[in-house]
Formats: sequence, structure tokens, C-alpha cells
Amino acid sequence: MKFKWIIFFIALFVYLFFLSIDFTAAQAVESHSAVDRLVNTAAGSGVNALPNPLMVIPFILLLLMIATGPLFYKHFWENHYPKISILLGLVVVVYYIFFLNNYESLLHTLTEYISFIALLSSLFVASGGILIKVDKKSTPLMNVLFLLFGAFISNIIGTTGASMLLIRPFIRMNRERIAPYHIIFFIFIVSNIGGALTPIGDPPLFLGYLSGVPFFWVIKNVWYIWLPAVLLVIAVFYFFDVNNKKDAGKVTAHSGKIQIKGTRNLIFLLIIIIAVFIDPVVFGWVPNLSPLPFGIREIVMFAVVVLSYKFADKTALTDNEFDFEPIKEVAYLFAGIFAAMIPALQLIANEAHVIGSKLNAGIFYWATGSLSAVLDNTPTYMNFLSAAMGKYALDVSLKAHVLQFVSIDEIYLKAISVAAVFFGAMTYIGNGPNFMVKSISERAGINMPSFFSYIVKYSFVVLVPVFTLVWLVFFYGKG
Amino acid sequence: MKTIEEALKYGQYGLYYGNRAILPFNCEILKVIIDDDIIMNFSPDSKLIYIHESANYTEIYFKQYKNLKDVVSKYEAVKLIVVEKDKDIFNFDNHIKLVIHIEDEHKLKIEKTDEDILFIE
Repeated sequence: MKFKWIIFFIALFVYLFFLSIDFTAAQAVESHSAVDRLVNTAAGSGVNALPNPLMVIPFILLLLMIATGPLFYKHFWENHYPKISILLGLVVVVYYIFFLNNYESLLHTLTEYISFIALLSSLFVASGGILIKVDKKSTPLMNVLFLLFGAFISNIIGTTGASMLLIRPFIRMNRERIAPYHIIFFIFIVSNIGGALTPIGDPPLFLGYLSGVPFFWVIKNVWYIWLPAVLLVIAVFYFFDVNNKKDAGKVTAHSGKIQIKGTRNLIFLLIIIIAVFIDPVVFGWVPNLSPLPFGIREIVMFAVVVLSYKFADKTALTDNEFDFEPIKEVAYLFAGIFAAMIPALQLIANEAHVIGSKLNAGIFYWATGSLSAVLDNTPTYMNFLSAAMGKYALDVSLKAHVLQFVSIDEIYLKAISVAAVFFGAMTYIGNGPNFMVKSISERAGINMPSFFSYIVKYSFVVLVPVFTLVWLVFFYGKG
Repeated sequence: MKTIEEALKYGQYGLYYGNRAILPFNCEILKVIIDDDIIMNFSPDSKLIYIHESANYTEIYFKQYKNLKDVVSKYEAVKLIVVEKDKDIFNFDNHIKLVIHIEDEHKLKIEKTDEDILFIE
């Protein structure tokens, strides 16, 4: 067994070595210093070196395995996904360290990953200790109101917090008539589209805020796109739900009460929301821990993970069947994804800069969206923001430039912001909470659709028409 | 042979060894949820589960797992929908939802689900 690994690493090293030679020759010919600077800024790199296009293979492999693993080789995947994910990520890490000598991209990615996982894990653990019981009869209208409430609240406690807090009461409320579409529309609305109004709602908007986009810019400029999109998706849900007659003839008594167990964890949720703003970019008095790949914010969030678990209401944890597995899965998979996607993002950003002047708002919308459906939407947002700013020779790493860009032309930022958040709903891997909601639902006994079935039966049927309509009305022929 | 109700009434524990769970009663099993596996195929060729009945107990082998303790964590449970041996399985009123918690010393704590636990039939 060990021998196999040695052979694997030797083969990997040889593969990377040849990639490196090919790359150096290619790059010597086409060096766009200004473009590269912007590309590398977006990807956190300070060197003028683009990766070999073949280095996107680990990323494509990882995405394919995430898509096919749970479907065709479920238990192999469950037992080995941490190793596979880390290994594929390491291929890229080794390439960047030993062949590109580009440490900055890696450090930047590590910083983003730690920030991402700190937010997700703290929201996951803190909300896992809260049990909301809604003992009301579920009706299509009630569900519509519930989803609308979820859409609003995801802007206050983030899509992850709202998903973790509300998915169980939503299932409980619908337990007599639950079907997979309930969960899928929950993922569409609460875990994704809903969180497009504030920087707390979804990580890409938060990174935009840290880069200089004013906090209330999103709600001011996106609400009139958000509202019809949310209402359209909920209208489709209503059509599904009104035709669900599973509980016909069943008479169950409901007290009409709403109960909350584990209220002390609400305080921890509040701490997480406050911690979001503890950043040297936002407040000058916050110490910058650089070159460490984390800041005070992440320390506070990880402290919340420990404390909110330690002091959680045990009955709430039991009734929520709290388990670290879903967040562990997200942590491992996204560790691989974050590392493996570095070359893909740098290459995409480069292409965007090279042909930036030809790109209109519609292209930014579809490009950001389609990539956000399968990649992490945060770096995708940043790369396309960087590309859009490149059209005006502005640099995304300078706050003043971002502010200037926002005042020059808002259409690109609108397209990128909306697409990065909305399209996360297209697949199970489009946004962190999607996977968690799926896992919680399966543990409750709900047979969820496979990766492809989710896309074909729901995303293509419901989301693509809505997103196309959004494009036609708000972005077509603009920019 | 103990009934499910008797076993629950006297708080009788089950046992587990590795991936083998032993329930102290005989029953018809309709659905099992372990981790995010929803098992409804109990035929002999099932890759996920094998059920064997003895005179006084029911054995369940979870074929895909080596040790139940590694799969079912502190606040989780294996969930089962079962029916007493002599009762009509077609009558939903006879369906009993059980949760099984993994405890130390190979013990399985068996309880009826309370309404707070999410368990969709």
C-alpha cells in the first residue's frame, strides 16, 4: 500500500515538473504586466506567472468526484473523500510552491478558507444548539410565509445561519406532507437567493464590502432584482405545494405554539454577526495579525464554535441530532476545492482581463453565475469584480478604486453580485449550506435527489427560467 | 420471545459489536436510517444491510460500516420503523418509530421517538 503512494507521488512530481517547463516557455511570450497585476491581485498573488492550463485537472476531477461519488460509489466516497479532496488540493499546492514559487496565492487562499470555515462552522454549531418548534398546520400559504421569512432573515444571520436554524422547523411543520421539493425550494430561497441583500447574507458580498463596496449599496441596488426573483421562485413552490395532497384526510391536532429551546445560543449568533465586522479594514483599531492567515474575527468565531457547543442546551442538541459530520464534510471538501481552484480562477481572471472590453453586463452575469454554480462564489465574485474594474483601469485591491467604480457604473457590480449569490442554488456544491441542508434532510428520512437529478429536475426547470428572466429584464444589452 | 412494547417498558438495552446490532425483541423492520443512508431494501442481496432473526432477538448487520460507534455520534441515533411480529403491518397505527443510541460497553439504548426528533416515514 505504501509503495503505491510512493509511486503516486513520484509520478505527481514528474507530471508537475513537465508542466512547469511548458508553462515557463509559454508565459515568456505573453506577459501582460498590468493585466497580470490585476489577475494576481484578485487571486492574491504578487508574481507575474499564470499556471499551466493542465493544472485545472485536479479541480475538474474533484468536482466530478463530488458530483458522482455520492451517486455511484457512495460508501467508497464517504470513507475516502477527505483523503481525495486533500490530495487533489495538494497537487496544486505542490505545483505552486515548487514550480511557480508562488506562495502569495496559497497564503491568500488559506486566509480566505480559514475565514470561510470560521464563519460557516460558528454559524453551524451555534444554530445547532437552538431548537425551534413550530406546532402549526402546514399549508402552502404558511410555507410561502415561512420561506419569505427565511429569505429576509438570511440577510441578518447569513444563509448558513438561517438554513441551520430553519430547516428543522420547516421539516417538522411539513412532516405529514414533506416531499423533496420542500427541501429543494428551501435551498433555493433560504440557503441562497434570499441572502443577496446584505454583505452578511453571503460571503462574496461580504468580501465585496471588505474591498470597499458600501454596506448598504447591495440592498439599495439589488432589492428590486431580489424581490421578483424570490417571489417568482416562491410562486413556483406554491404551485408545487398546492398540488401536494399527501395529508388529505389526516386530522392532527396542533397547538399553534412556537417554542424555542437553547435560547442562549442566540447570544452566540449575535456575537458571530458582530464578529463579522471585526476587521482592520472596517475598524482601524482592530489589530492586524498578518502574516498569520487569520484575524481577530476568525479567533472570535472559532471561540464561539467551542463555547456554543460546550454551553449548548443538551436536549436541543439531541433533538437536532447534532453531529459535526456535515461541517466536517464541508471543511474537507472546500479545503480541496479552495486549493484546486486557484489555477482555474487565475486563468479565468486572465481571460476576462484580456477580453474585458468586449464583456457586457449580461456576459458578466452569466459567467459569474455559471461559475458560481460549481465553484466557490467568493473568489468567482472577486475575479469578475476585478475584471469589470479592469475595463476602467481600476484596481480591486484599492478601496478608493472600488468606491470610484461603484460610482461610475453600477450595472457590472449588480450583475456580478446577483449572479454570485443566486446561482449558488444551482447545485448542491454551489454554496456551503446546500450540502448541510441535504444531509440534515436525509438523516430525517427524506430521500433527496441525486446531484444530477437536482440540477435536471429542479435547477433547470425552476431556476434557469427565473435567472433568464432576470437577465432579460435587468442586464440584457446593458453595459 | 419479547415484544417491542415489553422491551421498551422494561428499558431493556440492545447490544452492538462492530457493525452488528442486536435488538432484544422480534419485529418486522420497514425502514432504517443510519447516518444519511435510508434503507428500505431488506432482501438478501442488499449491499447495505442484513437482518437475521433468532428466537429471542433480531440481529442487524450494517454491511457498509465497520463500527457503529464510528458512524453514530453522541447526539445521533439509528432510526427504525418496526412492527410487532403478530401485528398487521398494513395498519399504520401499528408502525412504531424507534431511535437507538449507541452507548458505552456495547449497549444500545432503545427508545420510542419523541415528537421533537425528525423522522419521516
